[in-house]
Order: sequence, then C-alpha cells, then structure tokens
Amino acid sequence: MQQLLNGVVVGSVYSLFALGFTLLFGVNHIMNMAYGSVFMWGAFAGLYTVTALDAPIYVALLVAMVAGGLVSVLLDVFAFRPLRRRNAPEFSAIVSSIGADLVLLTIAQKVSNTAVMRFPFDAFPVVIFNVFGLRVQLLQLVIMGLVVAMVFGLVWYLYRTRFGQHIRCVAYSEQTSRLLGINPGPVNLQVFMISGALAGMAGVLIGLVFNSVHFAMGEPLLMRAFVIIILGGLGSIPGALIAGLAIGIVQTLSVAYVSSGVAEAIVFIALFIVILVRPTGLFGQATAAMRVQRA
Amino acid sequence: MTATLVLKDVARHFGGVPAVDGVSIEVPAGQITGLIGPNGAGKTTVVNLITGLLHLTSGKVLLDGQDVSREEAPALARAGVARTFQNIRLVPDASVLDNVVAGFHRHEKAGLWANLLGLPSARAEASDLKRRAMELLDRFEMTALADHRAGSLSYGHQRRIEMMRALATKPRLLLLDEPVAGMNDTEAESLAGIFRKVAAEGVAVLLIEHNMRFVMSLCSHLYVLASGRLIAEGEPTAVGRDPKVVEAYLGA
Amino acid sequence: MMNFFFTYQSLFDHILVYALLAMSQYVVLRAGVFSLGTAGFAALGAYGAALLITKSGWPPAAAIVAGTLLGTVSSALLALPLSRLRGVFQAVATLALVQIVLSATQNWVSLTNGALGVNGIPKVASTGILLTVVVVVVLLLVAMGRYSVGRAMDVIREDETVAVSLGISVPYYHRIAFIVSGTLAGLGGAPQATSSYAITPNEFGFSMLVAALTMVVLGGRTTVWGALVGAVILTSLPELFRVFADYRNVVQGILLMLVIVYLPRGVADTLLGLLRDRRLRRAAPLAAVVVAPAAAPAKDPVRANFEARAHL
Repeated sequence: MQQLLNGVVVGSVYSLFALGFTLLFGVNHIMNMAYGSVFMWGAFAGLYTVTALDAPIYVALLVAMVAGGLVSVLLDVFAFRPLRRRNAPEFSAIVSSIGADLVLLTIAQKVSNTAVMRFPFDAFPVVIFNVFGLRVQLLQLVIMGLVVAMVFGLVWYLYRTRFGQHIRCVAYSEQTSRLLGINPGPVNLQVFMISGALAGMAGVLIGLVFNSVHFAMGEPLLMRAFVIIILGGLGSIPGALIAGLAIGIVQTLSVAYVSSGVAEAIVFIALFIVILVRPTGLFGQATAAMRVQRA
Repeated sequence: MTATLVLKDVARHFGGVPAVDGVSIEVPAGQITGLIGPNGAGKTTVVNLITGLLHLTSGKVLLDGQDVSREEAPALARAGVARTFQNIRLVPDASVLDNVVAGFHRHEKAGLWANLLGLPSARAEASDLKRRAMELLDRFEMTALADHRAGSLSYGHQRRIEMMRALATKPRLLLLDEPVAGMNDTEAESLAGIFRKVAAEGVAVLLIEHNMRFVMSLCSHLYVLASGRLIAEGEPTAVGRDPKVVEAYLGA
Repeated sequence: MMNFFFTYQSLFDHILVYALLAMSQYVVLRAGVFSLGTAGFAALGAYGAALLITKSGWPPAAAIVAGTLLGTVSSALLALPLSRLRGVFQAVATLALVQIVLSATQNWVSLTNGALGVNGIPKVASTGILLTVVVVVVLLLVAMGRYSVGRAMDVIREDETVAVSLGISVPYYHRIAFIVSGTLAGLGGAPQATSSYAITPNEFGFSMLVAALTMVVLGGRTTVWGALVGAVILTSLPELFRVFADYRNVVQGILLMLVIVYLPRGVADTLLGLLRDRRLRRAAPLAAVVVAPAAAPAKDPVRANFEARAHL
C-alpha cells in the first residue's frame, strides 16, 4: 500500500512531464527527443538556485519553470523552426532534436562534471504524517497538489482562454488556422514555453523525490514519457494523466519488489508491446490511415 | 458485356457525415467516361474509394464483374487499376526514366534473390524495363529528357511522366484525377489525344475533371456529382444543358 | 611508410566496422523505414560472438557467423510486427528495442557479466578480413539498390501512397529492409567484438545509435556511398577535432542539426545529384530546343521557330 502511494506520487510527476510532451506533439506533430534534456536543465536551474543562491524551494521551482521554458524555446528556434520553414519531413525533426539533445546533454555533463548531485537535505521541510498507517511526506502532498494545480491551470488555459483556443485550433489543423487568421508563430512559442515550463517543474520535483540530479536524468524519463503517451493516446490529456499514474505505480512496485534493473526493462518492454498492439493508445484518436503520404 | 468498373450505391461517411452517397457508375472498356462536378463535390473521394485508399461505408465496387469492395489498395493496383493524382506525385530526385520504370512493378518477374544479388535474370529484366520505358517516352515525345531529374521539369512534362507511369502498369482501368488542371488549351488537347488512344486500346478510362469544356469533346458518357450525390448522367451535350447541372456549377 | 600504415590501422579498422553499421542504418532509411535499432542488433551480434568464444570455446570464425545470424534472426522476428508501424512509431519502438537489449546486457549478469563486459576476446578480425567483408557488402548493396528491390524502396520512401497505387506491398519491403539491416548490424557488431579485446554494454547504447544515424544523415541515405562517406567523416572527425576534446559530442550534435537543415540529403547524395545534373546539362544543350514548355504537335510553325531561336 505504501508503495502504491509512492507510485501515485511519482506517477503524477510523470504525468506532468508527459503532458508537456503530448502538448508539443499534439500541436506540432513532432517527437521532441530533446525533451528529457529540457527537464534536466530545469532541475539543474532549480538546484543552482537553492545551492548557489540559497533561495527557498518555491523560488527554485519558479526558476526551473522559467529555465525549462527558455531552453524549450531555444530548442524550437535552433532545431525546429528552420525545418518548419523548409517544410521538412518529420524524420528531419526527430534527427534535429536528437542532435540538440546531444548538445544539451554534453554541456550539462561538462558543467556538472558528470557528478550526481542532490538537493540539500533541508531544501524541503521533512514533515511526515501518519495517515491510516501510511507514511505520507509533506513533500508528496505538495507534489500532488502542484501537479493537480498545473493540470487544472493547463486545462483552464486551453479551454477557457482565447490563446488556448488558438492552440487547440492549430493542433487540429495548421492550414485551417491560418485561413482563420490565426498566426501559428505565437502559438508555437506558447506551446514550447508551456511544455518547457512543465518539464522544468517536473525536473525539480523528480530531483526531490529521487534525491538525485545528474546530467542524464532526462533520458529514462523520456522513455517513460513515450510509454505514457502512446499508452494514453497521442495528444490526449486525460490519457496522459491516467497512463502516467499507471506507469508510476508499475515502476515503483517493480523497483520495490523486483529490482531496479528489471524495472527499467519492464518499462521498455511495456513500451514495445504497447506500440505494437495499440499504437493509438486508449484514448487517442487514430491518426488518419497509416497510408497517408509523408513527403 | 459488363462494364469494366461498376459502382453500386457506393457511400462513404466520415463520422456520420456523408462525403459521398448513393453513387452508381458504370465505366465500360474502350471508352472515356467522365465524372464531373464543382469543387468539393466528392470526386477525389470516389477515386480513393475505387482505388482502395478509402474503405467504403456501404455499396459495392465491381471490377470486371468481381466484387472488389473490400480489397486493399496494392491488391487493386495489381489487379490493373491505375490512377494519376491531382497534385503531381513523382519522385523529384529520380530521373524521368526511373519514375516511369517504377510503374512496371506489378509486371516484374525476376525473383527476390535474383534482385538482391544482382544475378543475370535481374539485370536482363532491368534493361528490358528500361527499353519498354523508353518506348513510352517515345510515345509521349520525351526521349531526350529520359535522364533529367523529374523535379526539374515543367508542369506539363511532369503530368506526362505521371501518365506514362500509370500506363506502364498496363491497367484495365485508368482513373485520371484532374489531369489537365492548370494547363493551357494546346497542352490539354495533346493529352486528350493520348487519352483517346489509350481508350481505343481497350482500357476503361474514368476522367475526373471540373473543366466542362474539356470533358465535352472527350467523353462518351458523363456523370455529374454535387455534394456527394449524382445529380445527372448521360450524353455530354444533354447533361450540359440540364438545369440541375447548371445550377450546381453556378451556385457552387 | 609501414609505420604510417600501422599508426592508422586501428582507425581504419574502426572505419570499416562503422561502415557496416552505417550501411545497416542506410538500408532501412532508404526504404523509408524509420528504424533506429542498428545499435541493438549490433549488440546482439557482438555479445553473441563474444560469449560463444569466451564461454563456449567456439572457434572465432564460427562465432562471428553465429553473431551475425543472431542479428538476422532477431530482426526477422521483429520485422513482422514492426512493418505494420510507421514513422515516429517505428522510431520509438526500435529505440525501445535498443534499450531493452542494453538493459539485458547490463543486468543479466550471469550471462553477460553485466557492466563489466566481456573480456579477453582474441583479436581475430584483421584489417584484411574486415576490408573484404565491407567490399562484399558494398557490392551486394549496390546490386540491391539497382534492381527491383531498390526501385521499390525508393518509391516507398518518397511517397507511400504512390507506392501503394503502383501495387507495391509496403510491409513486404519494409520487412526486407529491416532484416538486411539487422544482418548488417550483427555483421558489424561481431567484428567489433573481435577487433577490440573487450566489449561493454554501453558501447552499444545511445551513442552508437546516434553515431549510426549521424553517419547516414551526414553522408546520405539514398545511396550506399552516402553511408560510406558518412562513416569516413564521422570516424575521422574526432581526430580532426581533437582540439575540442570533451566537446566532441556537442560538435556532433550541432553537425547533425546543421546537416539535416541545410543539406538534408547528405554530403554524398547531394554531390552525386549535382554531378548528374551537370553531366546532363553538358550532354544535351540542344534538348533545350526540344523542351518547349507546351510540347504540342499542332503548333503554329512561326511561333515554334521563334521559340527555338530564343533557346539557342
């Protein structure tokens, strides 16, 4: 039971991360392979704020979100926008993001000297409640609260504001949006900023939960994001949430009862099977017949 | 004798909205049948239904009497259904000759291993295909351009390459999706001559166009599609005067 | 002279092995299959060969063949389900595959010795053997690319709808590409094991995956020469850019991004294209006269005359 709770907490952060990823995919139709590095840089920024600037944790969270958004936008400017302008196929976008990921990873590696860092012990007050025999950390409650707040915020933004409407329109069809007078430029900017901010926040939260921050922390998370998104359906928000929780639970339980190495393998095997069996996920709409042209 | 292509009450719905409904058409061999209608009438949808790129919601498609309603696109292509596309789809970086040779795919006989290893049978077939492609180029007066990059040629030439590729498959049914869009009258006329020759060789030709004038001189029978339904059919001049047809075009 | 050769021999071996990996990646990309699984199959080939030699005492030659076959068999098994996927899904599925193999090699300690890797592999794959293998593979791939299989793959890659409308069975060719790719990867992995003395799981992870992709992006994914040129460029880069030391990966990443934007067809393919265009222009200046935009037989003779003069 305890592990179940832990799983839910971890899963909720995974959902947040996956949410940002699926937002990007839903609007731009690209798999941003560098998203893990955005997440990692958010964590780095947060850590730096706490250790070097001695700021409280909530400031670190904000900084992480801003940093994540920034890195994400830079990614768009350098890796994706030139391709959009040239109408390049999706293959190019993935290759470009892999290249960008390499750059971000290596710089982080150098900057951190390949060290595994931690948030200082007192970064977040260690308060433990005892609820029905389960140990519930304040941290866990806060995380879940934040995730819920973020999700509500995102949904509100997408469905109740004009900007959000524009985003959803472009996600549906960029051509139609242009005809309706919606400029895709600002929409893209917002989408990258939002998804980057979500990743950045997820970075700090994961860094706190697992008590480690290092340059390669984003890669395994990206893999999980794939599983979550494909399981929950590309471009589907409820799907990302539910699948995220599920994966978080599965992973935490495997680590607790089997071993961490095997847990990794289980995640990947799950990904493989899900892609083969149900690429459209549980909630996603089927992408138009697989025989659509690609050029 | 049954027509090469028969559509019986074919319908295609997208989530409850009918794109095409109750379409019944006959395309006999040796003639050019026209399918016309204003933009958005659903003509390309019909073509996609015939070639198997879209599945029918209801109705039947018969090819030489055989029910092919459930067949997949590659199977239909192998059965002799060829089409050209509204927006030209060539391999721009490949030569004209290579683009046309691609059309011979369904007639290739050399085995997989022969091709993987480059055995003499594969080589012989490759040069044979080249020769046959050159014959087609000759018919279309493009032999001098055989090695040019297909993407570097003019629109008119690219349309001809697409035509040659479709003919290379030696189809029994040829679907032409707006083949002369954007061409001037002289260019269109020369292509029309080629269509007539193809039909004369026994191929069933279905010409989809929304240019009424072009279609008038060429087709022996016309179907008019508007908002996904057939509103008229018959002999071209009569159809051209049908008030429903006039209204569809003017009102569109 | 011999001294020079020996100094660069290990680099040359490295280039040859990587050429095989590049060709493995090229085959799938040429057919429009977005597979990133080369590193995974290479790992299977390498570990297969290495373990057979060190643990079961197989003769090295047989072990290398066995390793390669492991690549073939596994890719054949996976080809069926993977040929039903497209684009991004294929990429992610094959990525997951590489990770699964990586996990297995890292964690199945009883079999693979975990992160410590397999040591003490005799250096059997000499430069001569590697060179022969590469040459044979190149010849086979050139043949494959020139006849029906290569033609079909080109059409599928450029426009799947057209391929389908011409009667080309897309899953069939995807499967062929995948199996050939898996075989070549195994063929590259096995010698990798026998030409360095040890192998570790991490050699076959993300970095190899990116390397294979980079080589083909750099060189070109529509011809074999693209893969070869890419392999040469990528393996010589570290030597040239030694000045960048730890930032080599940054350079590689930036290179990847620049090339895919500005030279999407790769160095070799773009060059070959340019050469062909130049050859055509030089060989047929008079064709310009025949190539009148409206090539209609019934044309006003005066106008035809005027246009002919305008082209000359």
